[in-house]
Amino acid sequence: MLALIEPLHGYAVMHKVEQISQGTVRVGPGTLYGVFDTLVAAGLIVMVKEENRRKSYKLTMKGKEVLLIQIKRLEIMTRKGLSATNRL
Amino acid sequence: MEKTKITKFRWFWPWQDEVEENWLEKMSQKGYHLSSVRLPCFYKFLVAEPRDYVYRTDYQTFHKKDRQEYLQLFQDAGWEYIGELSTSQYFRKEAKQGETFEIFTDIESKIAKYKRILTYLGSFYLISIVAVGVPILTDVPYPWWGVIQVIIIFILLLFTYAIIRLVIRIRQLRKL
Repeated sequence: MLALIEPLHGYAVMHKVEQISQGTVRVGPGTLYGVFDTLVAAGLIVMVKEENRRKSYKLTMKGKEVLLIQIKRLEIMTRKGLSATNRL
Repeated sequence: MEKTKITKFRWFWPWQDEVEENWLEKMSQKGYHLSSVRLPCFYKFLVAEPRDYVYRTDYQTFHKKDRQEYLQLFQDAGWEYIGELSTSQYFRKEAKQGETFEIFTDIESKIAKYKRILTYLGSFYLISIVAVGVPILTDVPYPWWGVIQVIIIFILLLFTYAIIRLVIRIRQLRKL
């Protein structure tokens, strides 16, 4: 979802996910096709452009809110996780 | 040089997608490259130099426009589209280092794949039940009723088996 802060089409999303995660997360086309469907149905992303058989999507307001909540949650977990492992 | 083709007849159940992919990969290593698939289960191969290909299948039914987007996405990710057989979509990619070979990169989307074929089989299942049930209830047999009944019941049994095996496969994946 972070990848869709700016409008992107499928392949660009795969590329960006790999880049942001520094190669630790890869999304296959089959998985991504389903993710687009699910996120559109949940109203978290919206199709903004269709060009050369490639659809571009972008986060909606609701999508941005959900993303921020998710990031906050992950941040808390990472912080707690780091301080716990420091004591190991 | 004339391009030679061979055709093979082989049956795979819908939960044997990985067995099927493996078989296609072995065929390519022997120099038989899948060129098309036809109902009920004919596989056409082009005879050429052996190559290392990775084959992947998906179960999808969609409208024409969605299909274009779907196929473009796979093509952008480096997958060559071979064709479809009923709802099965066939893709391949050359096995090179550093490439991603999974079209489904999490368990949920893999399960969703089996759920799609389950829904598809399920709708046929309902139609078959109606086809057998309505004449029984209304007592209006159509011609060849006995034969049709036997055929439909046989199909229903096959479907029941397929559906049970698919549910088992989904459960296995959930445990991973």
